[in-house]
Amino acid sequence: MFVSNEILAVVTFLYLFLFFGHLVYFAAKSERVLTFVWVALYITFGLHTAGLIARWVESYRLSVGHAPLSNFYESLIFYGWCISLTVISMKKRLRFPLLTMFACLIALGFMGYASFSSSVDKKIQPLIPALQSNWLHIHVFTCFIAYAAFAVSFLAALFSIFNWKRIMPPEETLEELNYRSVMVGFPMLSAGILTGAVWAHYAWGSYWSWDPKETWSLITWIFYALFLHARFARGWKGRRIALLSVIGFASVIFTYFGVNFILSGLHSYGAA
Amino acid sequence: MSATKSNGGREGQPPPSPTFLDQVYEFLSSVTLAIALLAFIAVTSIFGTLIKQQATPAEYLSFYSDSTYAIIRFLGLDDVFHSRWFVAAISLFVLNMIFCSLPRFIKLLRSRALIKVPNQKTLDAMGLRCLVPGKRIEDVAGVFKRYRNAQTNEGSRVLERGSLGRYAVYMVHLSIILILVGGLIGSLFGYRGPLTLAKGEIKDSVTARGNKGEIRPLGFALKLTDFKVSFYPSGEPKDYVSNVDVMENGKSVLQKSIRVNDPLNYKGVNIYQSSYGSNPLFVFDIGGERVELGQGGVYKKEKLHLMAVRYEKSVHNFGPGVLVAYVQENGQPQTSWFLKDVPRLRERSILGTTVRLDDIKEEFYTGLEVSRDPGVWVVWFGFALILFGLCVNFFFYHRRIYLVEVPNKGVLVAGTALKNKEGFKEEFEKLKGRLGCS
Repeated sequence: MFVSNEILAVVTFLYLFLFFGHLVYFAAKSERVLTFVWVALYITFGLHTAGLIARWVESYRLSVGHAPLSNFYESLIFYGWCISLTVISMKKRLRFPLLTMFACLIALGFMGYASFSSSVDKKIQPLIPALQSNWLHIHVFTCFIAYAAFAVSFLAALFSIFNWKRIMPPEETLEELNYRSVMVGFPMLSAGILTGAVWAHYAWGSYWSWDPKETWSLITWIFYALFLHARFARGWKGRRIALLSVIGFASVIFTYFGVNFILSGLHSYGAA
Repeated sequence: MSATKSNGGREGQPPPSPTFLDQVYEFLSSVTLAIALLAFIAVTSIFGTLIKQQATPAEYLSFYSDSTYAIIRFLGLDDVFHSRWFVAAISLFVLNMIFCSLPRFIKLLRSRALIKVPNQKTLDAMGLRCLVPGKRIEDVAGVFKRYRNAQTNEGSRVLERGSLGRYAVYMVHLSIILILVGGLIGSLFGYRGPLTLAKGEIKDSVTARGNKGEIRPLGFALKLTDFKVSFYPSGEPKDYVSNVDVMENGKSVLQKSIRVNDPLNYKGVNIYQSSYGSNPLFVFDIGGERVELGQGGVYKKEKLHLMAVRYEKSVHNFGPGVLVAYVQENGQPQTSWFLKDVPRLRERSILGTTVRLDDIKEEFYTGLEVSRDPGVWVVWFGFALILFGLCVNFFFYHRRIYLVEVPNKGVLVAGTALKNKEGFKEEFEKLKGRLGCS
């Protein structure tokens, strides 16, 4: 057991705590609770970052030194971190307790799965030769920031579909939030795919080989390209655009999980 | 444009009327077609990931029934991304993108010369508007430092900011075409193929993979001087290194250690470390002489003929062994096992000579991947342009501000933005504060 694993287990509980904190806010409707929740979110994010850094440092102590971005456990933890980062950096426009609550719930889901599922290997593994490259950092970072932005877009779409009165931000705000997150996610996903392609060129000798992971990231990219064209060239709004966003996120989830578990290919590092 | 059908002189073969061309043009330039094509490409790609691609018929038949396999074959679903209809869809998509973007781009270029101050009614309808009382345009214009003067008229002025944002879409569309063109160049003029080299071996050509299947000369020769694999304590591979000599006219011109993620590039040919393998090497002592034989290796001396036929990691749980074939005194062939770990079965007398298996070594060979892709720089340029375009699209958005002098009242300031209206509203509110207007 490493220190980083313990820190990250604590972080998992903090996300659970944050979720309940939001529930208390909705019950009490007290602004002080909300302020407290935000402070707790900052602390959780700080600890989450510390956990990632600790794991990085520990990997050097095991003399396999690499950034914690190389296997399924590490990617789940990193996805959770990216969601927190997105929520915090979008605070100005994202001050909707319902959204932060669900973002915390998603982060909790990933962290919980990573920390407590016996099928997820938590060991720090050495990097196989194909992963020993600086492209690893930029590729994983851009992809997961995109995934996190798409998660926010999905939440905004979900709320506008279910239309919960009283606790929900106004419809226009949700719509703006939805396409704004796609506006962040789309360039990030593009950068992720392109850095992956350049890396593949140097590692495998071909920038594109229609590997399932590549193909699914392209499918996801096409869905969000459709989203942007439907929104800007066709002026789609409301339920239709929300539905596209939900489909897009389903594609993200399949790109991330489905390809690892159901399909196999060159890109199977995430499955272990 | 009305068609003049009566004009068609020849029967049965009317000349292509402008209406038809119009229809084709309209079809090709519609956003609906773009959306339909993108959806089609996405959905068929899904099939391409769910069904194993480019596998052998036997592999398919172990998964699917005969009739299902026939359908898969008929639709080309066993090689979606190279099938004619997939390539056709992508080509149509490229045409569609050109027909969608080019006219709009030309219109945008032309519109720059046609900037006009809208009439009073349109100005009044603009949501972002305020009147700066008792001032003249010159006094007001200083506030808009980050705006570019697009037009100056008598009593009015047009200011712009973020014009680059309007070109971003065209950059992105152009770069997608570039990337596809780069891919096409690569598939027409490039090749890929595997190259295995044992230590000391020299090769100067490669068998191209795929339907090309032809032998391609590299333009130089490659000699493997050394190959090393290292492992982590856990048994995972840590590093594979092929030390190679690039040879021209029999002379070594370049030495390089090829690693995963660190290919060799020479004369437009890239050589990658992709895999490795090992062959057993049997060390025999034949009548006091040390002999190393690979699998299939033959030893011949006077009457003694023997061959290392087959290697087994474990022969009936007695450990590794090699099956040796030899010719008996009477001319009949005979085989027998030599087991490394069983002293009694390690040694045998053949035609009066003592043959002993001393060791079984592993001889590593390297698996390299050779590729030549003259289109890759077009693709890289496309990548750079698409990222630039997306960044521009993200950070720049076009907005216009009209300054119109209203006699005896002051200056009317009105602004419009097609994109990021919320952001522009905030900016306009700040400007209003600085202008001191209502």
